[in-house]
Amino acid sequence: MVLLTERDSPPPAARLRLVRPMNFALTVPALLLLVVFFILPVLSLLLRSVMEPEPGLGNYAALLGSTTYLKIFLNTFVVSALVTVVTLAIGFPVAWALAIMPSRLSSIVFAILLLSMWTNLLTRTYAWMVLLQRTGVINKTLMGLGLISEPLPLVNNLTGVTIGMTYIMLPFIILPLYGVIRKIDPAILQAAALCGATRWQALTRVLIPLAAPGMVSGALMVFVMSLGYFVTPALLGGTANMMLAELIAQFVQSLVNWGMGGAAALVLLVVTLTLYAIQLRLFGTARMEGR
Amino acid sequence: MSFLQIRALRKDYGIVTAVRDVNLTVERGEFMTFLGPSGSGKSTTLYILAGFENPTAGDILLDGESLISTPSHKRNIGMVFQRYTLFPHLSVGENIAFPLKVRRLPKAEIDAKVKKMLKLVRLEGFEDRKPAQMSGGQQQRVALARALAYDPPVLLMDEPLSALDKKLREEIQHEIRRIHQETEVTILYVTHDQEEALRLSDRIAVFSRGVIDQIGTGPELYANPATRFVAEFVGDSDFVDCRILSAQNGRADISIGSSLTIRGVPMHGGGAAGGMAALMLRPERLSLARGSVGEGTANLAATVTDIAFLGSNIHVAAAAETGEALSVRLPFGHEAASSLARGDMVSLGFDPASAHVFSA
Repeated sequence: MVLLTERDSPPPAARLRLVRPMNFALTVPALLLLVVFFILPVLSLLLRSVMEPEPGLGNYAALLGSTTYLKIFLNTFVVSALVTVVTLAIGFPVAWALAIMPSRLSSIVFAILLLSMWTNLLTRTYAWMVLLQRTGVINKTLMGLGLISEPLPLVNNLTGVTIGMTYIMLPFIILPLYGVIRKIDPAILQAAALCGATRWQALTRVLIPLAAPGMVSGALMVFVMSLGYFVTPALLGGTANMMLAELIAQFVQSLVNWGMGGAAALVLLVVTLTLYAIQLRLFGTARMEGR
Repeated sequence: MSFLQIRALRKDYGIVTAVRDVNLTVERGEFMTFLGPSGSGKSTTLYILAGFENPTAGDILLDGESLISTPSHKRNIGMVFQRYTLFPHLSVGENIAFPLKVRRLPKAEIDAKVKKMLKLVRLEGFEDRKPAQMSGGQQQRVALARALAYDPPVLLMDEPLSALDKKLREEIQHEIRRIHQETEVTILYVTHDQEEALRLSDRIAVFSRGVIDQIGTGPELYANPATRFVAEFVGDSDFVDCRILSAQNGRADISIGSSLTIRGVPMHGGGAAGGMAALMLRPERLSLARGSVGEGTANLAATVTDIAFLGSNIHVAAAAETGEALSVRLPFGHEAASSLARGDMVSLGFDPASAHVFSA
């Protein structure tokens, strides 16, 4: 049986041949930029991580052999995973609502979403500090209402990091999900309803499977961005749950240990690229195409 | 009591009324078609039946019980949509099994039913295909199988063939007729295509501006259209302006132009003497001759404006003396037609009893 997608698109080799020399020339400035400002620095970091303070894999051994550092790795993954799950849980209903609401309303919501994205990151993070601190608006309100007697510890811990980062990551999951959900014909959901599916069944058996490619790419983007996040964890997190980016900053800025800093950065890069490769493998080709 | 009753159904969208006052009863096993142009309220009525829209007023009774407060997923009604609505992530077999799975039927029962349904729509061996790998016609047949898998008492079809080309459409019309006969399911079918309506239906409800103008079998609608709209929509028709001279017992004497008087034409819509009206003629019931057609028939003088050969019949376009464009359909081999040319003066004859007058 021949798949439609296989018939319609040329094989990879043929596609490569379609790239003409002229088109390639146009990509030179971008490639140069990447080489000078990304690939060369990364290579230099790689070099320093195996050369400083002495040649060898000593830095990597120190990094992966210490429970303190492994804990930071683990914490980085836990925070990123938590942020990804919470972002998905909040982002999916928002994306769905955006897809079905009248366009006048949705453009307002989009404006709010984008405005918050364009606001300076530090400003937004400090705003969360103000909201979340012991004497902040949230604690004061809850105490004023008599719901709690002691202020909740909302900042300088995992809660603070999760709240702050979820807020920052939301647009990155809402936008791709919105794109996918909007393409789903509402009549398909009507058909599901007439087939006897409850709202829950229509959601879990039809809408979510159809939105899966958007969910995966959005979730991966959030997860990867979270892995390397610095400002928000540094300001809203505590010393007990340091993240990898903070560790790297500490190595380089406080300890001036470029070797260890480079090793940590490269471990992060390798993890990120691996995840990206897995996603490409699973969802990269237009597998869900054709409606 | 009738199987399905629609009572005084009304649907307003703000200041726009999509369905004004629809009343209809459908018998068990009947094939009922809603025929009308877009915006006539036929689809809205169907969507209210499906539970996608709430009526502003009125009621729908299925087997004596009101459906209005039952949500779509509990109505147990089948539906085939205009657009392709198979679940793209599921195979053909899984699509047909979907309504059975959400009803939590045992697996063996589901498998047997899926097989039976594939056989019904003649798509055995296709269960592992994805919808995207099938043609439009095949997809709609799967949609039909999915909609019938749970033995719904009523099947709704919303212009299911409008995305298909003519030949395929006719093929699937035959399939639908066969499946209707085999399953004896009650079908409500929406279309704007009169030929499709005539081919498929036991009865047709002609929708116009949110109400049903007339309900009847195809021949009834064709022979005795209740309104000018029905006459225009079912079959081809010619209209000639006329004046009512006198009206009695559903028949009218009329005058056309200054000289022609025709007596005893069936009249609809109750016009008074002296009022303007329209005389409706069927193109295939007009006879054509040079000069006068003869005693007992009425004659309209006209000038031939165009002649088109369409295989089994010949289409003659003519302009009446009073200015109206008329069309005449003559069988292939018709004597007068063979020598006819543009600009020829002809007389068009008809039997007054088979014509209709609609008061303006």
